[in-house]
Amino acid sequence: MNAAGNTTLPTKPPRNWWLWAIVLGFLTAMTVWSGYGIGFSANELVCNIAGGSRLLEESWPPDFSFLPRLIDPFMETVYIAIVGTVVGGILSIPVAVLAARNLSPDKVTWFLDRNFMNILRTLPDLFWAMLFATAVGFGPVAGALALSVFTVAVISKLWSESLESIDMGLPEAVRSAGGSWLQMIQFSAIPQAMQHYVSYALYAFELNIRASLVLGLVGAGGIGMILETQRANFEYERVTLIILAVLVAVLIIEQISETIRRRLT
Amino acid sequence: MSDDSQQNATPASGQGGAIRFEKANIVYPNGVVGMKDLDLEIKPGEFVVIVGSSGAGKSTLLRAVNGLNQLTSGTISIDGREVPKSGKGLRELRKRVAMIFQDFRLVKRLSVMTNVLVGRLGHVSGLRSMLNWWPQSEKAIAIDALERVGIVEKAWVRASDLSGGQQQRVGIARALAQQPAIILADEPVASLDPVTTHQIMDDLVRINRDLGITTIVNLHFLDLAREYGQRIIGLRFGELVYDGDAKTVTDEDFRNIYGREVTEDDVLDDEVVAEG
Repeated sequence: MNAAGNTTLPTKPPRNWWLWAIVLGFLTAMTVWSGYGIGFSANELVCNIAGGSRLLEESWPPDFSFLPRLIDPFMETVYIAIVGTVVGGILSIPVAVLAARNLSPDKVTWFLDRNFMNILRTLPDLFWAMLFATAVGFGPVAGALALSVFTVAVISKLWSESLESIDMGLPEAVRSAGGSWLQMIQFSAIPQAMQHYVSYALYAFELNIRASLVLGLVGAGGIGMILETQRANFEYERVTLIILAVLVAVLIIEQISETIRRRLT
Repeated sequence: MSDDSQQNATPASGQGGAIRFEKANIVYPNGVVGMKDLDLEIKPGEFVVIVGSSGAGKSTLLRAVNGLNQLTSGTISIDGREVPKSGKGLRELRKRVAMIFQDFRLVKRLSVMTNVLVGRLGHVSGLRSMLNWWPQSEKAIAIDALERVGIVEKAWVRASDLSGGQQQRVGIARALAQQPAIILADEPVASLDPVTTHQIMDDLVRINRDLGITTIVNLHFLDLAREYGQRIIGLRFGELVYDGDAKTVTDEDFRNIYGREVTEDDVLDDEVVAEG
């Protein structure tokens, strides 16, 4: 599990055509086998395309009269993402610092925190949503808590790597002036990696907007929940509108966030 | 008010600052000898220049004084107390031993003021420094330190917006803010131009004279060593090969320290070579 973060460049394989043929054959066999496994058949696909086109017809034109009723749930989605990003963003600071090999006070702390971080990252956000839903009940609070954990996983992994690449001369200067470990972190390590932190936090916010849509589908509130109820009621024209609105809103939010991030670095 | 701060920044008399190496050895894990059987005594208030070619152990010597490098054997003591290897004792010692670096080592994104206050970190509670909530008396010490190097008007400028010479002055101010008994300057002028070099060396000499802080400076320019040092220490392969007055050091001595002829690469100002 802890080896998941290590990516090393594999040695270049020799140009062996037999090897290529074997690999290609293996991949083809795997795909065909897996296709049988899930009962995939080209015949069925062609028949269902007709059903798909009927669905598309029913979904057009989008029901724009439904738009005003989207505002509240959409804002709820944004709120969930904001709470998740802020809470997770704050909690990720100690997690990232202790997971940076050059800053962690000792090997044991580093090892434990590193693995803790990897466990958070390995478990998907849906799992956390289910977990918190059983604890605090289905709804936006469970969604925000799940996204907090997800945010810690995202930011701490990326940022601990930024922290590992800082210039260690400055921390040494703070230590040699009689500064404590905490003061060294605050006055020399964090300022050097601050830009990266803000950039990763904004990136986590973008991910959280999208993730909170998905969490809504399983009942964590927000626009995903509206989408799910409309779909269950076969209101496909409203579904189309929701998808379009979400597409536009997410694109706008990502554009703003990306512009800020680009200015930073 | 200004009288108060003046007194604050001036270390109390009898501040100490004596350094003593006894049979001190440092061998790096890769087998390189950084310090060999060093016996050396530096008196309080002395201005010592260490010379030697690169790899001779100049930095090793400085960094042993504040415990950044650990001795392999032997002892080093400051004012009769052995330098602790770690823990609270080492932190306490480092409050009294300031360091100035070749690459300045400032937090470039933060203000000059914050950088100088880093020198006060050992003197404030963890909570206060964490909230960046500095007592007025601490700020007064920082401002006084900036006045001593003549850049108090830059207090609220970002460190990255200063020239190299100004950045090194902030480095000196940070050292002064510690109100140290000893200042260790590791090649403080190696990344500066000749004019700024002389200004920074003048600053160091003036501070040593005015405040009586024991000062050890690593230099690789011989004319600077002659011009500014009171006492010159020569190192070669980690060994002490010269220890004497800067006024009487000869070119022959320098040849001995370097183990080769002294060339114009070893001096900052060409005229000095012509004179010598």
